[in-house]
Amino acid sequence: MATPTDQTSIIEVRNLVKRYGDATAVDDISFAVAEGDFFGFLGPNGAGKTTTMRILSTLLKKTSGTVRVAGHDVDADPDAVRRSIGFAMQEISLDNLASGYENLQLLGVLYGLTPREARTRAEELAQVVGLAKVADRWVNTYSGGMRRRLDLAGVLMHRPRVLFLDEPTQGLDPQARRIIYDYLRRLNADGTTIFLTTHYMDEADALCRELAFIDKGKIVQAGTPAQLKAGMGGDVIALKFRPDVVLEQAERVVRSLVGDKTDITRGGDQQISVAVKGADQFVPRLIEQLDKAGTPPLSLSVAQPSLEDVFVKLVGRSFLEDDESQLVHGRDPFVAGGEGQS
Amino acid sequence: MTLVRETYYLFVRGLKQSLRPWPSIIPSLFLPVFFLLVFSAAFANIRELPGFTAENYLVFYAPVAILQAIFFSSGDAGIDMVVDITSGYFDKMRIAPIRHISLLIGKLLAVGLRSIVQAGIVIAFILLLGGKIVTGVGGFLVILLLGALFGMAWSGVGITIALLTKNQRATQSAFILFFPFTYITTAQLPLHLLTGWYKTAVLLNPVTYILEAFRALTTTGWDGTAIATGFLAAACVAVVTLTAALVSFRRFAR
Repeated sequence: MATPTDQTSIIEVRNLVKRYGDATAVDDISFAVAEGDFFGFLGPNGAGKTTTMRILSTLLKKTSGTVRVAGHDVDADPDAVRRSIGFAMQEISLDNLASGYENLQLLGVLYGLTPREARTRAEELAQVVGLAKVADRWVNTYSGGMRRRLDLAGVLMHRPRVLFLDEPTQGLDPQARRIIYDYLRRLNADGTTIFLTTHYMDEADALCRELAFIDKGKIVQAGTPAQLKAGMGGDVIALKFRPDVVLEQAERVVRSLVGDKTDITRGGDQQISVAVKGADQFVPRLIEQLDKAGTPPLSLSVAQPSLEDVFVKLVGRSFLEDDESQLVHGRDPFVAGGEGQS
Repeated sequence: MTLVRETYYLFVRGLKQSLRPWPSIIPSLFLPVFFLLVFSAAFANIRELPGFTAENYLVFYAPVAILQAIFFSSGDAGIDMVVDITSGYFDKMRIAPIRHISLLIGKLLAVGLRSIVQAGIVIAFILLLGGKIVTGVGGFLVILLLGALFGMAWSGVGITIALLTKNQRATQSAFILFFPFTYITTAQLPLHLLTGWYKTAVLLNPVTYILEAFRALTTTGWDGTAIATGFLAAACVAVVTLTAALVSFRRFAR
């Protein structure tokens, strides 16, 4: 994560506070996002993610602090901020009684394109998000996945430098999520800075280069996914051996590599597991030594700690403990699995 | 981008929104015509009443049908707004680099045009049913103009409630205001036949003067005072409702 004084920062937030009466939704947070970054803002619902994003996108007035996006202050020059950003909100917001093209073209002209340019751009984006065949149909005939993709196309009409995405795959089935992920990666590779909030940890892990965990209005930890997971004490290597291998012998080999201070766990059914840092470099040596000792493993697996594990370690509880309603919503049978029409 | 351009785009969008799907505008045309038919049949004998000078009740009641058509077309503006607010579409418009006032003006102009269209259709029915417009084409155009003005003014009520409550049912309930404002007027009987508190209430209701302006244009002729008073009443309503809409719009982002 860039520091708030970094010259290349496209988003700079200093001492941001948002209060509603007595309740503090965002409690004095500071962070910066470098241009071209893929930044994830993670936390349970009610943590302050959406509030922060709405302030950054000029939709909501802050109580105090400084926020600059694309070099412009959100209070002093909101229009310049608006021209630089696209915001795909959590709720898919489309005009249902209009066609896909009508939706896209209106956004295009409001962002200053001529009607002809808006049409060309709309056709281009409809192609990109795989909606060209249905873009003349009213949006109320679209499935959940199609609506999400059209919404995303809409925020890209004016080629924003910064893209804000609030839970962009909420309620989508895995296939629809993959389509969106691929497209976001391509956009980011083309230079668009992406600011993503999500409570799907696997999504953040797969997409983001920088992360910040927010809980109860405060940033509790920030870093790259690898840095955050490294704080967990390493990867867990699990080994399984053939029945004829003497397990004590194999354990001695492992012990010789990890030293005396590391716990080696022996499971039933010829298994050994051990937690080590830098498993990628450790595993080749381990296999080599086990082979030499005549105790080659039957199978070997390396499990990385997940971001969910990191969050639990940081705040002492999981995302879902706060948020059962979110879980139910995420499994809404009327939303998930509706990808078939495209 | 100029205010005119962005307002135009939002006006077109607002108009499409208010006319889609097209069968949804049928009730707002059906009801004024229905009431006109029913009341002119039910109260056919009122013309025997001493002091009732109109040639028949249909001619007397016709301006009420026009007024209702305008009420119904403008009442939907709040609903359209609250649909946009709850779906997040309104936020999407608010983060576009446009003057926010164009969101309001675009919506109002769409309401104005829809009022004109609906009033025009209802007037066509009135003429088919044997009603008349004594002031001719000129009077017809003035009716549409006053109708558009009042339509925009009345839509401010629904828009304000939509912005303040962000709630569909609350916004829909603005519909009940239609009854006192339409019926505590000279809708059923001319003013000189009314008495007591009711007459006072009728005189305090600005819609009475708009209705009387319509009645002058359809039935009695170019009565300058009645017409001017009608426009003034509509303008006063507009000042109140649109100020309320503007203030609630500004509060929205907090």
